[in-house]
Amino acid sequence: MFEPPIQRLVDELARLPGIGRKSAQRLAFHLLNTEEADALRLADAIVEMRRSVRLCSRCFNVTADEECAICRDPRRDPSILCVVERAQDIPVIERTGTFSGRYHVLGGAMNPIAGIGVEELRMRELVGRVETEHVAEVIVATNPTLEGDTTAMYISRLLKPAGVRVTRLASGLPVGGDLDYADEVTLGRALDGRKEL
Amino acid sequence: MRLRWLELTDVRVHRRVVFEPAEGLNVLVGGNGAGKTTLLEGIGYLARARSFRGTPEEDLIRRGAAGAILRGEFEVGGGRRRVEVELPRGSRRRILVDGKRPRRLRDLVGTFPVVVFHPDDLDLVKAGPGLRREYLDDLAAGLWPEAAVVQDDAETALRQRNAFLRAAGPAAEAAILDVWDAQYAAAGARVYEYRRRVIAAVGAPLEATYRLVGGAGEVRWRYEPTWLGEDTEPEEAILDALRRRRGRDLELRRTSAGPHRDDPVLELDGRPLRSAASQGEQRTAALACRLAALVVLGNHRGEEPVLLVDDVLSELDPGRVDGVLRALPQGQVFLTTTDEGLPRGTRWKVAPDLVEVAG
Ligand SMILES: [Zn+2]
Repeated sequence: MFEPPIQRLVDELARLPGIGRKSAQRLAFHLLNTEEADALRLADAIVEMRRSVRLCSRCFNVTADEECAICRDPRRDPSILCVVERAQDIPVIERTGTFSGRYHVLGGAMNPIAGIGVEELRMRELVGRVETEHVAEVIVATNPTLEGDTTAMYISRLLKPAGVRVTRLASGLPVGGDLDYADEVTLGRALDGRKEL
Repeated sequence: MRLRWLELTDVRVHRRVVFEPAEGLNVLVGGNGAGKTTLLEGIGYLARARSFRGTPEEDLIRRGAAGAILRGEFEVGGGRRRVEVELPRGSRRRILVDGKRPRRLRDLVGTFPVVVFHPDDLDLVKAGPGLRREYLDDLAAGLWPEAAVVQDDAETALRQRNAFLRAAGPAAEAAILDVWDAQYAAAGARVYEYRRRVIAAVGAPLEATYRLVGGAGEVRWRYEPTWLGEDTEPEEAILDALRRRRGRDLELRRTSAGPHRDDPVLELDGRPLRSAASQGEQRTAALACRLAALVVLGNHRGEEPVLLVDDVLSELDPGRVDGVLRALPQGQVFLTTTDEGLPRGTRWKVAPDLVEVAG
């Protein structure tokens, strides 16, 4: 046990993903021994990020504005939508440089064991966008897990009446992993080789 | 495959024990609580990255110790591979293969082939269908890594479908159930097909091992799923069955048909062994099944798996023991017993913190 203020920080840091007890202590003491201004800048960045960032009103990407930079970009093709599970997946796909449409962040995949049903996902919003934004193709880029595949199947059936083309990334992605597990080249190839569901 | 050495630190009764086994048959002799089964558990854990028969990992840690460490080296596929596992009490385990963390555990499946034989396995014939499905599925996964993937998918799809039924109740949205049905039918059909392939592969070896352990007559598997109609593809048939039983599943809030409910049975001369044979005959057939699995795995890989036999001999008629010992494969075998008079193999005396060649 350390002095209460230090212990409190160690406990908070240890709750972060990928940070164990030992790393949390190291980080806490680093912040203690570094210049005060450096440590406060980190605290400030956290506060600023939490206060200013919200969800894009169109695609649910993270943004500091009403709409995210991708939705506001006039060069992006609004007729192609790429559906992802989480906002973190967007930069992964952006890095491939192959996709020029817009995104839709579902907020996860269907997973009844974890208590996530379609009501917990932004399905209704997706249907609404397909109807109002003149979308011609929806690329489902949920994770290559059983839950991601099931969600893709559900979306394709859900959008069938709308007459829109629904595609899924080609296989070749590491099975059972997250999207960000794939390198840019593999992911780019999976985008190019997408198949109709 | 062959185990070169094993080192256990704070595992059950052993503070620290180092074991350098011989080739061929290793007979581990010791009283109750001497820690002979622990050696088998250690070997099994290193090879399969999971404990015996679902024993919680915490149980492996010596009472009062902060964690257990298991290390060992296998000779496999023409090379030597070192496996190390750290099991800290109350936190995540750490596995290293040749000093590196494996990318995914799934990649390890089948790398270190072992077959475990436990007294409960003697109930293969008369126990519920779960043990027989597990026998077929485990053997399929050992033969074809793809089988482990589809088994995993089928189990996940089934658990998700059941969780959905439980949460949604009778008012469940049909379109959602439809997609879980499709996923379970697709993966379940593959599981079924792999079971079929195992039964085909195990047929002749089973007849041979059954005779070796003193059985008379013709033993074979019979597998006729209730959901499988004539002239339908398995996937289509499972989907049909799920559709037909949907009303009942919604009421029961679980999945009432599919490969997870199948009952593959063993037959002797065309009659079910479960009802037709004596307990002795049933156990002989169960033993023959384990040995046949070993033969099939060995032939498939061109390398004998390591066999771990835990206290099975004491459950058999004395007359059968010699037949069993003769039927054991040429590869490395570890066998625990309380019987000091066993005639074959290298004999080891086991006690807490001790494994030594018995005089
Ligand atoms: Zn946006």
